[in-house]
Amino acid sequence: MSRRFWSNIAAVAWKETQVMRHDKAFIGVVLIQPVVMLVLFGFALSNKPANVPWAVLDWSQSPTSRRFVQEVMATGYFLPPRPVVGYAEGRKLLREEKALVFLAIPKSFRRDVERGRPAVQLLLDGSDPLSAARVGVYIGQVATAFETRAAPQDPPDSHMPVREPGPIETRQRFWFNPTLQDRAFFLAALGGMLLTNLCLSAMSLGLVGERETGTYEQMLALPTTAIEIVLGKLVPYVGVAYALMLMATIAAGAVFGLWPHGSWLALLVVTLPFVLASLGIGVFVSALARTSAQAVFISVFFIMPSFVLSGVMYPYQFMPHGVREIGAAFPLRWYQIASRRIIERGAGMAEVVVPMLALTVLFAVVLAGVRWRMKPRLG
Amino acid sequence: MSWRRLRTLIRREVRATLRDPFTATILVVVPLGALLVFGFVLSTSVKHLSLAVLDANGTAASRRLVAELAATGTFDPRPVSTRAELQRALVSGRASVAIVVPPDFDRALRRGAAGGGRPPEIQVLYDGGEAVLAGNAEGFLRAQLAHTGATLATTDLSRRPVPGQAGVDVVTRALFNPTLDGTRFMVSGTFGFVLSFLTTLITAVSIVNERLAGTFEQLQVTPATSLEIFLGKILPLGAVFALDVLLMALVAGFALGVWPQGNLLFFLVVSTFYVLVSLALGLLFSATSSTAAEAVQKTVVFSIPLVQLSGFAFPIRNMPAFFRWLTELFPATHYIRLSRAIYLRAEGPTALLPEIGFLVLFGAVLIVLALRSLETRA
Repeated sequence: MSRRFWSNIAAVAWKETQVMRHDKAFIGVVLIQPVVMLVLFGFALSNKPANVPWAVLDWSQSPTSRRFVQEVMATGYFLPPRPVVGYAEGRKLLREEKALVFLAIPKSFRRDVERGRPAVQLLLDGSDPLSAARVGVYIGQVATAFETRAAPQDPPDSHMPVREPGPIETRQRFWFNPTLQDRAFFLAALGGMLLTNLCLSAMSLGLVGERETGTYEQMLALPTTAIEIVLGKLVPYVGVAYALMLMATIAAGAVFGLWPHGSWLALLVVTLPFVLASLGIGVFVSALARTSAQAVFISVFFIMPSFVLSGVMYPYQFMPHGVREIGAAFPLRWYQIASRRIIERGAGMAEVVVPMLALTVLFAVVLAGVRWRMKPRLG
Repeated sequence: MSWRRLRTLIRREVRATLRDPFTATILVVVPLGALLVFGFVLSTSVKHLSLAVLDANGTAASRRLVAELAATGTFDPRPVSTRAELQRALVSGRASVAIVVPPDFDRALRRGAAGGGRPPEIQVLYDGGEAVLAGNAEGFLRAQLAHTGATLATTDLSRRPVPGQAGVDVVTRALFNPTLDGTRFMVSGTFGFVLSFLTTLITAVSIVNERLAGTFEQLQVTPATSLEIFLGKILPLGAVFALDVLLMALVAGFALGVWPQGNLLFFLVVSTFYVLVSLALGLLFSATSSTAAEAVQKTVVFSIPLVQLSGFAFPIRNMPAFFRWLTELFPATHYIRLSRAIYLRAEGPTALLPEIGFLVLFGAVLIVLALRSLETRA
């Protein structure tokens, strides 16, 4: 490490800031993407079933069966049911995606209810398994709670409660997100997604671009080492990344009321190793690629799996072992864990030590990789 | 339009694409990688969720309850001794679900089973921060608690059925995918993802690169018409992606065990047509960009919302009305719907005619626009 290490870094950082200020495409991406993502994740995307189309084959045609259908409707997840007259019609609706659920109520339903052994049949469209599983559970819950004793011919003892609960009652609550909105889940990781995009796409182009225009060779001719160039290039992006992160967090708070419940300080601290590791990966990509088109390709196809495997879209706890461990190699995995703890669950510094250490280790590994790959190469 | 010129242009394009090992690698690795990644990540079954248990009862009955919850492999119980510890476990994410067994659990269970008094009440706390996980775990946990409660109440006391076991039995069956396996769902959507994204990217980059190298201008001064240039660009790439679809279908079948339920040939025809639509879109992106990086960035910024809103991962019906309407305007939405219908529900051409019609209409508009953009550049 030369005596002029720090001033060399500062010089490269200054030059990089000047370049960035004039890059219109880059500024556009930085400003457009947060808005698009905020709208998508805040308003549009959700795993929570809604507007579920369904069909009912009601052979019973009794007040009891109609009450059952009404109680399913009352959950609020369903559209008004389509009445059908036979199984063939119901299956056809499922096949054509005009119904997700087909409920068949037997002819003897009313009598069965009075005798205490009622059953209904439920056919689900398995081609959409996630929705099918959830909707099946909702209808199952309605069925379990269905008051089979309320039929007027069967007046219960007046001192007994009308509703006879099962052997165990459950009282459940969803902490941190009482109405279980997917919005809170996504937006808590919004910063992480935006920063991954920013760091990778901006950084990966940086070095290749310089190599293409020949300015990289010029910099090598100066008394700066390769690692000084890299660190100098990182510095301005760290600033942009922090600005973007604050913007995303404040927007989620101002628009959707999702302010961080935990410590702002912890959020700011844990962002640093994440940004450094992501930028480092961008540099590494840039060192691997020979043209800027290649660099962009590699970084896009790094961003995609990191969104999927890190668990920002889909909980990593669901993934099978092996795939889950691969996801741990992406910085976004650890950052989304930390930011969800802080933003949603109100965690402080103590609870995010592990993700922070993991991010630091990832940064060190990436830096070693960059150092190995960045030997001065000309031509 | 001359066939000889077109043939030459096609031969040139094929050579240029295959000569670059990077493009060739991308064309094989990305579709297969996407297939495997998406195929493995989604599962609806909840397994080994960590469950914090605050057992204030500590009797045989309560231990039995916890053991039953652990037995199916859905939950990994970890005992906690205080309410504060339980809270910390949820905040730090060490536990995704917590249950609190009340101190009088066994007595209340016996009383309740005998027909007198309130049944025991178990408190269940979910980590709503992981909204998707909590939503899926809810059903499993409630079903298991009800089942375990019923067995505990009957085996502890008598064989007679528990009084007041109200409710309706639901006999559930899932069609097209009996185990509600997520892999099939994702695999059929991955075709849409790859064909929407990779095609657009590759065309955008290839045209911009030619423009930078000056070979595009050279093409335009040859006697080749812009229709010939357009077809010369799109047909070879379309053929490559058609092969990609076949390759993906084979890998999905052999590696993931997901074979199309419907007609593979019909699926290939629909996919090839969609590839052409997508390539035309890529051409449009490249016409408005000056560097490859800009073309790619534009593609990414537009394609991410396109794919997200297309129902690839998030069902369209869950969206608010405005987005449901908006997403019908994207060709990706219709292609993904088609691929799911053919791949999972073995749907034939007649029922899918409206969707195909829309794709054709949209394709025609895009192709005309792309041709125009080539002409204005000349």
